[in-house]
Amino acid sequence: MNQFKTVQELLLFQESLARHKPDKVLIVSNATCGRAHGSLALVEAFKEAWKKHGLQGQAHLRVTGCLGYCDCEPLVIIRPGGFFYARPSPDDVEEIISESLIGDKPVEHLLMKDSATGETVWKENEVPFYRRQKRWIFADNFELDPTSLEDYLRNGGYRAMVKVLTEMKPEEVIEEITRSGLRGRGGAGFPTGAKWASCREAEGDYKYVICNADEGDPGSYANRGLLEGNPHSVIEGMIIGAYAIGAREGYVYVRMEYPLAVELIQKTINDCRSAGKLGRNILGTGFDFDIEITCGGGAYVCGESTALMASIEGRPGEPRAKHIHTVERGLWDRPSTLNNVETWATVPKIIKNGADWFTSVGTGDVSESAWGGSKGTKIFSLVGKVNRSGLAEVPMGMSLREVIFDIGGGIKDGKNFKGVQTGGPSGGVLSEQHLDIPIDYERMDEAGSIMGSGGMIVMDEDTCMVDLARYLLGFLMDESCGKCTPCREGIIQMYRILDDICNGKAKPEDMELLHELSEVLQTASLCQLGLTAPTAVVTTLKYFPEEYEAHIREHRCPAGVCKALSSSEVAAAT
Amino acid sequence: MSERIGVYICHCGTNIANTVDIRAVAEYAKNLPEVEVVREYKYMCSDPGQEMIKKDIQEHNLTRVVVSSCSPLMHENTFRGAVEDAGLNRFLFQMSNIREQCSWVHSDRKQATEKAKRMVAGAVNRVRWHRELTGREVQLDQSAMIVGAGITGIEAALKLADAGKKVYLVEKEPSIGGHMAMFDKTFPTLDCAACILTPKMVSVGQHPNIELLTYSEVEEVNGYVGNFEVKVRRKARYIDEDKCTGCGSCLERCPVQHKPGDNGHMLPEIEMTPEMQRRVDQIIDCHKHEKVPIPAILNGINQELGFLPKPALRYLSQQLQVPLSRIYHIATFYTAYSLEPQGEHTIKVCLGTACYVRGSQRVLEAFEDRLEIKAGQTTPDMKFTLETVNCPGSCTMGPVVALDDRYLTVDPNEVEQLLRSYA
Repeated sequence: MNQFKTVQELLLFQESLARHKPDKVLIVSNATCGRAHGSLALVEAFKEAWKKHGLQGQAHLRVTGCLGYCDCEPLVIIRPGGFFYARPSPDDVEEIISESLIGDKPVEHLLMKDSATGETVWKENEVPFYRRQKRWIFADNFELDPTSLEDYLRNGGYRAMVKVLTEMKPEEVIEEITRSGLRGRGGAGFPTGAKWASCREAEGDYKYVICNADEGDPGSYANRGLLEGNPHSVIEGMIIGAYAIGAREGYVYVRMEYPLAVELIQKTINDCRSAGKLGRNILGTGFDFDIEITCGGGAYVCGESTALMASIEGRPGEPRAKHIHTVERGLWDRPSTLNNVETWATVPKIIKNGADWFTSVGTGDVSESAWGGSKGTKIFSLVGKVNRSGLAEVPMGMSLREVIFDIGGGIKDGKNFKGVQTGGPSGGVLSEQHLDIPIDYERMDEAGSIMGSGGMIVMDEDTCMVDLARYLLGFLMDESCGKCTPCREGIIQMYRILDDICNGKAKPEDMELLHELSEVLQTASLCQLGLTAPTAVVTTLKYFPEEYEAHIREHRCPAGVCKALSSSEVAAAT
Repeated sequence: MSERIGVYICHCGTNIANTVDIRAVAEYAKNLPEVEVVREYKYMCSDPGQEMIKKDIQEHNLTRVVVSSCSPLMHENTFRGAVEDAGLNRFLFQMSNIREQCSWVHSDRKQATEKAKRMVAGAVNRVRWHRELTGREVQLDQSAMIVGAGITGIEAALKLADAGKKVYLVEKEPSIGGHMAMFDKTFPTLDCAACILTPKMVSVGQHPNIELLTYSEVEEVNGYVGNFEVKVRRKARYIDEDKCTGCGSCLERCPVQHKPGDNGHMLPEIEMTPEMQRRVDQIIDCHKHEKVPIPAILNGINQELGFLPKPALRYLSQQLQVPLSRIYHIATFYTAYSLEPQGEHTIKVCLGTACYVRGSQRVLEAFEDRLEIKAGQTTPDMKFTLETVNCPGSCTMGPVVALDDRYLTVDPNEVEQLLRSYA
């Protein structure tokens, strides 16, 4: 692709692409989960078949990123027929091509059987996992090859960027984002419009936009799905944001545990540079902006905004106190706007479809302020002991029950629901009594947990809540940066108490000490890691007190997990 | 049994009386249950005030006394003494502080008076529950045990020993001095830490009143203040302390290498070779003009050599004129870097929440069992490095193991087979 020197050139090119939409498409997903299950070989097989049957020009082979139904990837979907195959092998390719692609018929023995109901799924629009979702952001993953700028353009990409650069003033962009009620999807839920406005107003000529792609929460990988499936959407969002704020440089901080995402984002940036969409004088509009990638080094705390910025600066990722916010003094002491991957990916959609479109879904009222409600959709990683697991994009306000049972298909192996861990290690564990809570920022807070980055780990009766609380503390203990005393020393002490409980060595004064330590950490820690560390303990104590009682008083682990408390004796043979 | 309580309310000149309506409080107190006598006076702590209490105890057969005045820190002893003089047990007495806790911290007269009434009622109610107590004298052991011989313990030991007490100074490490012995300077005076510490260390060793128990740990503490009985475990030293001259020859010959942070294996000490230096030079040249050179250089070395050898870091520190501590800080902060050589294959078991819930802990244990190493270590034949990772984001595949660049779902029972396939 040549460099587009003006907006006109880009629009003309886009129009020409639109004229060549293929009649039939065969989609194969080829992201991390897919590759782990042989998608590379599958793609090769399809490429061979394309040559063999001379399908070039008649049908389009689209190799996509993550399609969200991770349990079953790689997926093969044929449109417009809607035939849906989960994990076919390269040996099945021939049959799929001749019967389904050319013959327009389903190959019955390859069709997916739903893991919850056991029923055969005949068409894409019948897939139970997808049916109740509202894939405003994620649906694009099906429409494009993440390595192809052409695909992104053909699908209407960069329209929003063009609109912003040619028709809107920066203040108008901020106004639109503010009206939409968009709140940060990284976990804190801070109103994006307000953040951008503060940064724009902050003193200084040199500003930065940063994409937080560290996604450290275990169990949460919605960002990976977007980075591997639709990296351009993130870049487009950042360009729009940079324009609105007045930033000339941007950074994407990707965790090193996502090597494919790093590769794809780098390629995307390179492609954008070659095409004139990044760099100096973007599309001849006079707007200069470029993006660099920094890789994480395997530290969870680097997901915290000030720690992340320290890491980009080449220092160890230790947070600092935020009485001066990063929008005023952030990266290299300059005004910086840090947003999550999902937030950035949502921005182009809002610009394209309008704030009113976004507010049509969700809870609350954002006419006064974005804090008044939770609008739009959110992508959750629904994992753990559910029948159907993967990335689910749902409207704010859908209940936990609907997500776990309707979309997730209920608990695996016929077991009983026990709890759901939301928001990563900083979040808490919710129990059966919370299943009907509508998912939004405020309601989750009230229940004692947080929405966080969207991790939703479902647990059944075989999970011990005390063990889980101990595990979460252990995780945070490892990842604590060590700078402030409450976190560095407090978490260890809390962990030891929980360890004692799990080993039947709890002392009566332990509970009081646990409460006291929780209070100290929640009040005095320097950053959110320490401040939210007690949440797991606090929520499990509140919602599963019987389990703690059993461990402490009866030296018994009801779930049968804590080895020291679950002894089995071998009876003599009779 | 019903008590006969005497209640005394002090004006404290104007200190209390200016804010609290003493008359009203006295009237109120008269109606409290089991109150026999209520008096108010300008200065209860004065001699006439105390006499008043003593007289009432004898004439009215009082069984309990309450004084509402100032802080117990001021006059509890005074009044207890008066009570005792009158023949009543000194602990059948309660004070309520309507000065520091009432008149001195409030300005609204009405509200302060109500509060004072409640405070008096509280004291009256409480004193009913007091019992006679007798003090006794116990023989004190004129010795002390100090646990921990860092600078604090050393200083405390010297102070006590100089005051004539016998001191047992217990330290779990073989040597005393603690962290200060490892520092170069103190803050904020920038004094030489060793110059301050070492004379004290010598004093401790030589002081006739100090018994130094190093390489020892407190095992059990029994008894009570003034009479403790402590069990101290003295760890085996294999050295005759009377004969040792501290020459250090044994250190040179010692076959045991124990460095903090070691994984326990006796890995060969890494040397800086000309080849290594050449490659590091190349990497430095490549990145030294970048905005953020150090992480880029560390990444380069990590990629070239598979890990970050300590001599390479020392060399880097020299070449870039950057303190070694800063480089170490970065190198040890991020789990992406290892200061030990890595095995041919890296096995990373995910211990993220979703994988944990699906049993990844048992997968890790299976690997640890089979390979006979712990997470974070490398097998002696340098074939496998076992690590944990916190979520590569493939949670539906859990429990996930990243073996080199492959992502696998692994069952604990499959571990043996998997490892054999790499043999």
